[in-house]
Amino acid sequence: MAERSIMLHILEPRRDAYGFALRPQHTHRYREYTNIYKEEEEERCYKWKNFLDQVATSFQACPLEEANTNTLQAETSKHKEEVRSRRSSTGDDSTGSDSEPVDTSDSSPTKLLESPIETQKRVVQTWCQIRPSLNAIEIMMSSRVEKKIMKDEKTINGGDHLPPPEEAESLDGTLANSEEDEACISGSLNRSTSATGAESRMGECMSNSVNPSKRDGDVAEGVSHDQLFTWKEELECLVRGGLPKDLRGEVWQAFVGVKTRRIEKYYQDLLDQETNCSADNENNIPSGVPIKLKKQIEKDIPRTFPGHPALDENGRDSLRRLLLAYALHNPSVGYCQAMNFFAGLLLLLMPEENAFWTLVGIIDDYFDGYYTEEMIESQVDQLVFEELMRERFPKLVKHLDYLGVQVAWFSGPWFLSIFVNMLPWESVLRVWDVLLFEGNRVMLFRTALALMELYGPALVTTKDAGDAITLLQSLAGSTFDSSQLVLTACMGFLTVTEVRLVELREKLRPSVLAVIEERTKKGRVWKDSKGLASKLYSFKHDPGSPVEMKKTAAGADAGPCTPNLDDFLSGLAGDSETESLPDLQEQVVWLKVELCRLLEEKRSAVLRAEELETALMEMVTQDNRRLLSARVEQLEIEVAELKKTLAEKKEQEVAMLQLLMRVEQEQRVTEEARINAEQDVAAQKYAVHMLQDKYEKAMASLAEMEKRVVMAESMLEATLQYESGQVKATSSPRARNQGSGQENQRKIGLLPFALGWRDRNKGKSTEESSE
Amino acid sequence: MGCSSSVPDRASGRSGGLNPENSAADSKNLRVKLVLLGDSGVGKSCIVLRFVRGQFDPTSKVTVGASFLSQTIALQDSTTVKFEIWDTAGQERYAALAPLYYRGAAVAVIVYDITSSDSFAKAQYWVKELQKHGSPDIILALVGNKADLQEKRKVSVQDGTEYAEKNGMFFIETSAKTADNINELFEEIAKRLPRPTSS
Repeated sequence: MAERSIMLHILEPRRDAYGFALRPQHTHRYREYTNIYKEEEEERCYKWKNFLDQVATSFQACPLEEANTNTLQAETSKHKEEVRSRRSSTGDDSTGSDSEPVDTSDSSPTKLLESPIETQKRVVQTWCQIRPSLNAIEIMMSSRVEKKIMKDEKTINGGDHLPPPEEAESLDGTLANSEEDEACISGSLNRSTSATGAESRMGECMSNSVNPSKRDGDVAEGVSHDQLFTWKEELECLVRGGLPKDLRGEVWQAFVGVKTRRIEKYYQDLLDQETNCSADNENNIPSGVPIKLKKQIEKDIPRTFPGHPALDENGRDSLRRLLLAYALHNPSVGYCQAMNFFAGLLLLLMPEENAFWTLVGIIDDYFDGYYTEEMIESQVDQLVFEELMRERFPKLVKHLDYLGVQVAWFSGPWFLSIFVNMLPWESVLRVWDVLLFEGNRVMLFRTALALMELYGPALVTTKDAGDAITLLQSLAGSTFDSSQLVLTACMGFLTVTEVRLVELREKLRPSVLAVIEERTKKGRVWKDSKGLASKLYSFKHDPGSPVEMKKTAAGADAGPCTPNLDDFLSGLAGDSETESLPDLQEQVVWLKVELCRLLEEKRSAVLRAEELETALMEMVTQDNRRLLSARVEQLEIEVAELKKTLAEKKEQEVAMLQLLMRVEQEQRVTEEARINAEQDVAAQKYAVHMLQDKYEKAMASLAEMEKRVVMAESMLEATLQYESGQVKATSSPRARNQGSGQENQRKIGLLPFALGWRDRNKGKSTEESSE
Repeated sequence: MGCSSSVPDRASGRSGGLNPENSAADSKNLRVKLVLLGDSGVGKSCIVLRFVRGQFDPTSKVTVGASFLSQTIALQDSTTVKFEIWDTAGQERYAALAPLYYRGAAVAVIVYDITSSDSFAKAQYWVKELQKHGSPDIILALVGNKADLQEKRKVSVQDGTEYAEKNGMFFIETSAKTADNINELFEEIAKRLPRPTSS
């Protein structure tokens, strides 16, 4: 089994020792605290064993309990076998004990305490007695329940039934009650002759320890209580130190007085009734659970500890039966969101029917009026808590006022959920230990105050409502130091007692009723179905209205005809008087309406005052904001600067681009120019080439001409030489002379011309070559 | 005190970071109280979780009383809006506590489930309730959630639109599962917020 749990932890590191989901941000913190939890658990197992041994010893002599006076060892071995067989069949073990290291060592004192309860956890749908070793506690706690039942019987037609018996006792100071108390104890305990002293001492102490905070009141009624405090204080101390995981389920039952509350077959009857009703009539028949609540329960079952290993198919069926049975049992509550978590939690710790009776004890008794249609007591408690806050933490409340935070914003969810899902599980269970032990809502207030004590200093530093709530939520969610929390709660707020709370509730309840009255008067948008009943119910809680009380009882009887535990026990007394009072009731109703109207006016005035106050606060807040706005401005300036730089950069970029383009253009132009130039060059080269050709031709022709000139000259010279030869030969004959003279003249005339032409030609050729 | 060492650091660090922007005094940075109302199981918590953490958990827990989360968004005109969101419990009787949370709220988001006509009727109840008891200038948004479940639709888009128009509300259909229109919802609300005239 230990292996299994280890496996479970490896596979699902996001779940704690109880199988509940851990928030990712808390995994680390949880791991840090695991060892502390282990040490604490070992210590308290040891202490509880000693304590129970001691009690068991004193019980052995008691004839009433003889049947159960086996030693713990015997029990253990007997249960162990069952454990094995059942475990294999149901296999929903995840509720923590598995992971306890002590489980593995036989020598550990806790071993004896652990095994039996495992058995009981795994029993589905059966009723289980708690182990005999816890009988002493059970009997003592039951006396409280018996007292209440008796008181209800007696006072069914009168009085405010809200305060738990012990405080009613101390308030009223009725001897009768304390006598009953003694009678109960002696009835169950003091039958033996030998150990009478010890037992009666025990019993009496316990009846006191029921509400430790009211010791003073109780002392008055006690005779020899001074010497008896030891036992009571020991138990109280043990409870504050926490219950061992494996005893928790049973000890809770003992605290709530499950055995005394239980009526044989009642639970089974409710279940049968429910199945019959849903089989017979599909529609909303008075004898069944209203369809609306059924739907709501169906919606909420998968949303109750989603993913918890124990809430598999069977677990959910169990949860459904439990919630339906409760809805039938107490129609004034029916089903209210939050109860699904309580029922789920109880089912993890005990068998189904035990869980049912424990739930009955918690909702009907400790949280009476909390989860009903109008949730009156819950709203009253919010006002009470705020009042206590103002008293204990004036500075903190002032700061919260300044931020515009209402205390009820966070205390409401805390109270309604009894801290389930609001604190880490270890802390939730520790708070429940004390709360169930004390049997009233004092621990609720003390825990909330302790949280404020622990986290108030941090809250004062917050600067707006959102941050304050966020901070508080996350701080509360990480309250892993459960011992610190419980001890702060129990030790730090001793003046917060049930008497005090009752006083404050009486004082503040009218304002809540007034608001509700206003709502029911104005808006019957969807409330038609419940109108009268809820109004009557709200009157039930008004102090000093005995008539209403009766009528409520009547209403409960006349309405859904389901057996209400209280009615069951007190039915006859109540029924006999209900018929004769309609007129009186009407009158009282009318008076109530009047009263409510007045209260309403007062309330609206108060509201206006509040509004003005918040307006003032708002104005003050502006101051604070100025500082902040300065910083915002600074940041804005920075942003503007950055934007400016960015713009500049962009401009530069554009300029660069333009420049680049221009350069490119120029480059292009140059290129063109270059190409043009090249073309020019080519053209010129061509021209040169042509010219050269011409020149060469010219030169060639010149050379030819020169040749011709030379030829001509040589011909000329040859001619001249010939002529001169002719002249020498024919110089005598005149005729010849004459004729030849004429011819000579002509030839000489030709010569200068030819010479001149030659010169000219020469000049021309030089000119050409120079080109 | 050992317990608070890690978490407060984170929280205060965050708030420290937000605070300069959070001085609701100017028109640039708004702080808004928003409340979510509607029938049980329509997905109020899922919408918030999707908006704030970007997560969706099909098996989320029942909300008891109310729970709180906050988220800041920035708009295009460089204003920031810090939403302080109160997510309320859906069961009918918790309506008794609702005024505590919607009193003083600037925005109320009324959610119904498009696959449930009951939840649409309940949404109408809430609209009436807020018109009567909410602040007179409260911004109302009507949200039809679970828009991904088209095949199971029971409330038509037209019904939603018409009802919203008749009551001067802003209407949108969302799906927390697919994140459809979730941010749009809050952005649209942010745009509709009255801007304080800057001092």
